[in-house]
Amino acid sequence: MNESNPNQPPFPPQATPSLPPPPISGPRPLGDDPAEREPIPNVIVAIEAMLRQPRRLMFQLRQPGAGKLIASMLFVAILCSAIYGVIVGSFSGGTQWWAAPVKVTSGLLISTLICLPSLYIFTSLSGAQARLVEIFGLVVGLLMLMTILLIGFAPVAWLFSQSTNHVAWMGFLHLLFWGISTVFGLRFLQAGFAHAKAKSNSGLNTWAVIFLLVVLQMTTALRPIVGPAEETFLPTKKVFFISHWFNCMDWTQPW
Amino acid sequence: MQTDPAIARDGEFSTLLRAESQTVAAWTTEWNARRVALHVGIIILGAGCFGAAMGWWRSPTQGCFVAVKFPLIILLTAMGNALLNAMLAPLLGLNISLRQSLLAILTSFAITAAILGAFSPLLGFLVWNAPPMTPDVKSTSTYGLIKLVNVLAIAFAGIAGNVRLFQLLAQLAGSRAIARRVFIAWLAGNLFLGSQLTWIARPFIGSPQLPVAFMRETAMKGNFYENVWATIVEVTRFDD
Repeated sequence: MNESNPNQPPFPPQATPSLPPPPISGPRPLGDDPAEREPIPNVIVAIEAMLRQPRRLMFQLRQPGAGKLIASMLFVAILCSAIYGVIVGSFSGGTQWWAAPVKVTSGLLISTLICLPSLYIFTSLSGAQARLVEIFGLVVGLLMLMTILLIGFAPVAWLFSQSTNHVAWMGFLHLLFWGISTVFGLRFLQAGFAHAKAKSNSGLNTWAVIFLLVVLQMTTALRPIVGPAEETFLPTKKVFFISHWFNCMDWTQPW
Repeated sequence: MQTDPAIARDGEFSTLLRAESQTVAAWTTEWNARRVALHVGIIILGAGCFGAAMGWWRSPTQGCFVAVKFPLIILLTAMGNALLNAMLAPLLGLNISLRQSLLAILTSFAITAAILGAFSPLLGFLVWNAPPMTPDVKSTSTYGLIKLVNVLAIAFAGIAGNVRLFQLLAQLAGSRAIARRVFIAWLAGNLFLGSQLTWIARPFIGSPQLPVAFMRETAMKGNFYENVWATIVEVTRFDD
């Protein structure tokens, strides 16, 4: 059973001890495994590939006509974020049943669009050779992985939504789940950019910090997402996300 | 993969307890309804018997309630995290399917439940020898002893089940480093959900001041972690 273990994924690449070391340093070229060259015909295969064969997805994103694949990945990301939004909205009910999914989905999409130009600039400055459509595909991949992982967290989030009245606690829990999902999403993005021949990762790392800050601020700009709906769909008062979090904490109560 | 004829002759229950990693890994490669039913049955019976012994001290009715709740918590934890666990495994380097991850978790829970089931006569005997619950029971050493025995038995069974799960993951991954990553992620997720489900399903041992009930009226108010936080704040408050 140990000779060739089918449960070991092709990614991250691992050197086989019996083979001589590859002559070129860096990651294994995309598409050297015939399985990576197989086209991705639908969203189900795209989700499977994202979880089990991310190199296949990265290879297909570099092929001509990748737009259809990117569109299907975007569709999955929108659908999954809307479903998770319903779970978020189930905490408060009422208007939040529809407002929370709209805010979660639009917040993620707007954050991505805001950050996309800076990603292109940062990666280009790092010497990466990637077209804008490839970069967009990788960012959509980040969104897709993040949101399908959020669906995995959804049963736990729903259970807690039904058993607590504390907005700050639920906010913390959703941020925790989003944070874990984002770490995996950023790993995918980093793995994708490893094939773009960038001289350093500093541009990508800087962008990751910017992306995190933008999404966190978006949660405040679109508030309330977790708590009960207010009179207006969007808040009338502008506030930075850290001060909003401090305001949400009731420091006089021990929870 | 060839199965040792000696293992094949043995019952599946003993194979499960021995947790021969190669054999158990082979179990996860196919959906065998009879085997799944066996594992679920072990969870219902083992955890149910332990739960009955746990609640029996308060009253036989409480024992029946806990006998239903305890296996339910285990099964709901496995099902609630099934999708998440199946996603995390390939992302952390172990390319297994939803079915394989669910079967691996069920197998480890079945081992835990089997051990709990084996402890249940001992716990039952302890409860049988304990004086009846009195209003001041929580200040007595008997209450402390019964609570401690419960915790030790559950901790031992949980550790044994998780050790077997790690061995199974190492067999499936062919690498201890990958197995460790997946194991820690699964353990964290299962502990997180399991703790809250246990909180919702309280009472277990029960309290003489409160009526015997399947779940408390406040079951869905507050959560385990808020309570832990409140306790920490209470303990560390020096101004009173």
